[in-house]
Amino acid sequence: MHILLYIDPGSGSYLVQIIAAAALGVAFFFRNIKNYIKALFTRSDKKPKDNPPV
Amino acid sequence: MPSDSVIPSSFRDPSGFVFTHEGIVYRQVNLSYKAEYDRLMESGCYSSLVQKGWLLPHEELNNSISHTHEGYITLRPEQLPFISFPYEWSFDMLKDAALLTLSIQKECIHHGMVLKDATPYNIQWHKGKPVFIDSLSFATYDEAEPWVAYRQFCESFAAPLLLMHHKKYPLHPLFLAWPDGIPLPLTRSLLPFKTRFSLHTYLHIHLHAKMSGGNKPASGNKTARFSKQKMLNLISSLETMIAKLQLAPQKSTWSGYYDEAAQRDDYLPAKKALVQDWISKLTSIHTAIDLGANDGAFSRLLASQQIFTIAADFDPFCINHLYQAIKTEKLSGIHPLVMDLSNPSPAIGPYKGERDSFIQRTHTDLGLALALIHHLAIGKNIPFHKIAALMAAACHTLIIEFVPKADEKVKLMLQGREDIFTDYHEAAFENAFSAYFTIVEKAPVAQSGRTLYLMQKNAD
Repeated sequence: MHILLYIDPGSGSYLVQIIAAAALGVAFFFRNIKNYIKALFTRSDKKPKDNPPV
Repeated sequence: MPSDSVIPSSFRDPSGFVFTHEGIVYRQVNLSYKAEYDRLMESGCYSSLVQKGWLLPHEELNNSISHTHEGYITLRPEQLPFISFPYEWSFDMLKDAALLTLSIQKECIHHGMVLKDATPYNIQWHKGKPVFIDSLSFATYDEAEPWVAYRQFCESFAAPLLLMHHKKYPLHPLFLAWPDGIPLPLTRSLLPFKTRFSLHTYLHIHLHAKMSGGNKPASGNKTARFSKQKMLNLISSLETMIAKLQLAPQKSTWSGYYDEAAQRDDYLPAKKALVQDWISKLTSIHTAIDLGANDGAFSRLLASQQIFTIAADFDPFCINHLYQAIKTEKLSGIHPLVMDLSNPSPAIGPYKGERDSFIQRTHTDLGLALALIHHLAIGKNIPFHKIAALMAAACHTLIIEFVPKADEKVKLMLQGREDIFTDYHEAAFENAFSAYFTIVEKAPVAQSGRTLYLMQKNAD
């Protein structure tokens, strides 16, 4: 990694990200299908999800 | 450059440091960070973040002021009137700081960069909004690598927010015990059992805490590859988890204070009129601190006169309520702050202190201490001269209200306890404050029996 590691990323933190990302990939896959089906039956007047936080 | 002008909080990152010169704050970028800094500026990442109002803008100086041999460039960031720390923030302030950090991380990824740290100390409050201040926190993004600051984010944002949400209690003082974030095994043990059944909380806290044990090297797993989509999923998951969190509204000690106070004849309008009248006569008041600000009624009054005001109160619910109002009404001149004046934030960190104390940071033109003195003098047994010294350290001009013993609120405080406050009277109050201030004006507040003072700090 090119980043100068001046903070300790934490033992296990990399591994947990790999596991979490895999689990989330599956979860978001099904969520997207659910949202797609939902969108077929409802009007799409939702605001985009990528809003700034504040 | 004298080494004592280097701001001590910037010692951890070798990429550069922050220093002051003739009262202006500058940031030096070191040669070791040159490639990353150039990428930040040239990739469009900087301009995009500044345009969104997420990153504090800076200008590059042609001449180095620090004259250190490792320097690459000197930046003059937009100056902030006050610096605060997460142990002084309310729940929603920390939550918005967390969401801003995640939004910046996502934006960075689109520009081929990544946040190399994710700490609340990189966020400050500017014109009523959180803003990222550390222009040295950006690094080149390698899609194959997980997020280097993931654990830091979980410990310093997710952990305290989840604890406050589930325990229904403001826990900002935990940052004083663990300035670098709440350890995940501790967070895991304090969270209710049901949180294991929430996918996001399970992954980011429970599983994370379990896997953080042992002494495996951080980058030991070189076989598994990460990807951009995986990183975006991770950020999205953190966002989903945090966006749902809230501090359960509670009827706190002081919420509703002004509703109650307003019923007392013409007490509040008379006090407002007096304060307004005195402020209009004062010249060169640009900054103020409202001590015991409650829901910020008087802070709003000051801010409406273009006076930057720190609204400090020990009640985190009041400050959270004020922060929500600042957001909704887009008030830009008020900085809400959770502060217990009987125990103001200390300086923390090694040696002289990585973070300055509240007293070291607070030097305003005007101080407002309305209906506060009895809470400190009687509620907390703090002698008048110590309160006067605190006020003198914080401001040059002081508007302070004296609440006599005959006042029904003081009577209420003394109910059921021995009255040991023989020195609690107006003459002793004036005498103690005269050691630091000159009393310029004095006026009764309607028929309340309370007195308002306008004082000017004596020359040192």
